[in-house]
Amino acid sequence: MIEWLHPGLIFILGALLIPVLKGKWKQIYLLLLPIAALIDLLYMSKGVFWRLPLLEYELVFGRVDQLSLVFGYVFVIAAFCMTLYALHVKEDGQHVSAFLYVGSTLGVVFAGDLFTLYLFWEVMAFSSLFLIWYRKTKASSEAGFRYIMVHIFGGICLLAGIILHLQNTGSIAFDSFNWGTGWGYLSSYFIFLGFLINAAVPPLHAWLSDAYPEATVTGAVFLTAFTTKSAIYVLIRGFPGVELLIWLGAIMAIYGVIFAVLENDARRLLAYSIIGQGGYMIAGIGIGTAMAINGSIAHALCCALYMALLFMGAGAVLEMTGRSKFSELGGLYKYMPLTFWLYMIGAFSISGFPLFSGFVSKTMVVESAALMHQPLVWLLLEGAAIGTFLVAGLKLPYLTWFARKDKRPIAEAREPPKNMLAAMGITAFLCIFIGVYPQALYGILPYSLDYAPYTATHIIGMSQLLLFTFVAFWMLRGMLHGERTITLDTDWFYRIWGRKFIWFCEKPLLNFADSVDDKVRRIADSFVWFSKNPSVASRIMLLTASTVLLKPFNPNPVYMRYAQDLEELRRLYPGEVHRVAIGSGVLLVLLFFTLYLVIYLTYGVLWV
Amino acid sequence: MGRKHLFGILYVCLTVSVLAEVVNFHGHDLWQTIPGFSALYGFIGCIFIIAASKALGHYWLQKEEDYYD
Repeated sequence: MIEWLHPGLIFILGALLIPVLKGKWKQIYLLLLPIAALIDLLYMSKGVFWRLPLLEYELVFGRVDQLSLVFGYVFVIAAFCMTLYALHVKEDGQHVSAFLYVGSTLGVVFAGDLFTLYLFWEVMAFSSLFLIWYRKTKASSEAGFRYIMVHIFGGICLLAGIILHLQNTGSIAFDSFNWGTGWGYLSSYFIFLGFLINAAVPPLHAWLSDAYPEATVTGAVFLTAFTTKSAIYVLIRGFPGVELLIWLGAIMAIYGVIFAVLENDARRLLAYSIIGQGGYMIAGIGIGTAMAINGSIAHALCCALYMALLFMGAGAVLEMTGRSKFSELGGLYKYMPLTFWLYMIGAFSISGFPLFSGFVSKTMVVESAALMHQPLVWLLLEGAAIGTFLVAGLKLPYLTWFARKDKRPIAEAREPPKNMLAAMGITAFLCIFIGVYPQALYGILPYSLDYAPYTATHIIGMSQLLLFTFVAFWMLRGMLHGERTITLDTDWFYRIWGRKFIWFCEKPLLNFADSVDDKVRRIADSFVWFSKNPSVASRIMLLTASTVLLKPFNPNPVYMRYAQDLEELRRLYPGEVHRVAIGSGVLLVLLFFTLYLVIYLTYGVLWV
Repeated sequence: MGRKHLFGILYVCLTVSVLAEVVNFHGHDLWQTIPGFSALYGFIGCIFIIAASKALGHYWLQKEEDYYD
């Protein structure tokens, strides 16, 4: 009887069988794996499992408590919906990398020590990379390289932090880290930095908005949920109540919105919305009260679902029309009404409309900011709620399904395949279910909860906020049309300076290396030349020196003779080499050995 | 259901949401106790976000699509 089975292992080992299966069987198998993992999770008891000794440390693969279980549930449920969405994809590699990605994320969630965490952290980065590269365009390959370089950097920060932490404390257990100012907390800073990169906190966020929109249609859906939400999970574990996070989160929420307003690419707009939504969770972790942490967790769970739904909607449009830029889209409502309505359920959820999932989680974080009496944080978070509705709930659907200046449809399209619609339907159902019946979500949160989302104040406040946002949008909708531009973000630094660095390596640095190389080779050449006939070579060198010295006294008979000799010697060089009998060579070797023997025998006796 | 009806519903919702707050208001801090604060914030906030980000984009951040090529 197996005591405990790692749900991540179901995905990771399960992925290996995917290429073997064909057709219908493969599709059934793909859907069965997340269901198996969910059943595994549902029957899981709390505790610590799978401790493996490694040298003098103990690896813990299964730390099961309420926090890890909650994240496990939502990741597996989201993985089921996403797999259904990707069911029509023929390339096995995409399924395999998606499953490795999901499995390694579950590995991160259940990791009880820092080594295990690091291991799965890296697998997560590399398996997700292929979801970007499978798009097989030049843009996706370049964005993928930038993506993995940022994540390798983040991984190195994490590893450096872990090693320092081990040095300081002697323990690799993954619990909350010390926090303060000073060199003594260096290990915490490194780990914090590694976590922040995966959570896409500005200015370390550009990998997300750069790479996610370049991923495959189905790959991008997978990417929305796991990396950022697992980073939220590890931040809750490691750094609850770190005040810096409140401000990072509040700025992050607004930052995502501002860039989303400027964005011309539908999926990049949503990528910025992921960043904006992450801001609420980060702020909640920073506030650190039981309600705020609960709010962050609840929001991460809701966000994983509605963000996937939004990416499914935008992905369906891209799949059917081949377009994702607002400047090329519009008027699709006639052709894809079902996709529109399913997308709008996600949009209402992310905007936090009452009866949709975002409302029951977002208000919890915002409320805890209000309870802290931090008006600025509260205003920033409420402002981000306005902006989120504006970009994901109004701008994107308006420019994709409606606005068209000429009366012709820009792209003729039809509804996406049934599996995509079904996946969107299930995800949409979950979004509404959580919104209507929040107790299902609140019941599994780790802290006991005294929070009622559906109070008159909340409903009235949110309705006013969103309805009047719509009024302002309708007045200014002309300003929001797609512009054929890209928006500079912090990836500018490594894209421009990275290119300059490569130029520096290729031109000045390489030229310098060549010249050094050349000089060394000349010296080596002169040794070769010299050893061809050392006695004549030394005469040539002597004569050269003499002629140089005597040159000022030219004409001079001695100089003339030297010059003639030199010319003759150079012409004939190496000439006839003076040879000795083989015996003299042997004699030299013998002499050498004898000398060595004498040194060896007398060392330590006659001299030291 | 035409556009007219939709806007009719919208106006009703707007009025109801503001009136409902007059009947029932309480909050944690001063700014939450102003009736209609959320409505005002939603309206002005939205205009501000659009104007501020467009200004930021047009004067600084928005570039041609082949900027990095």
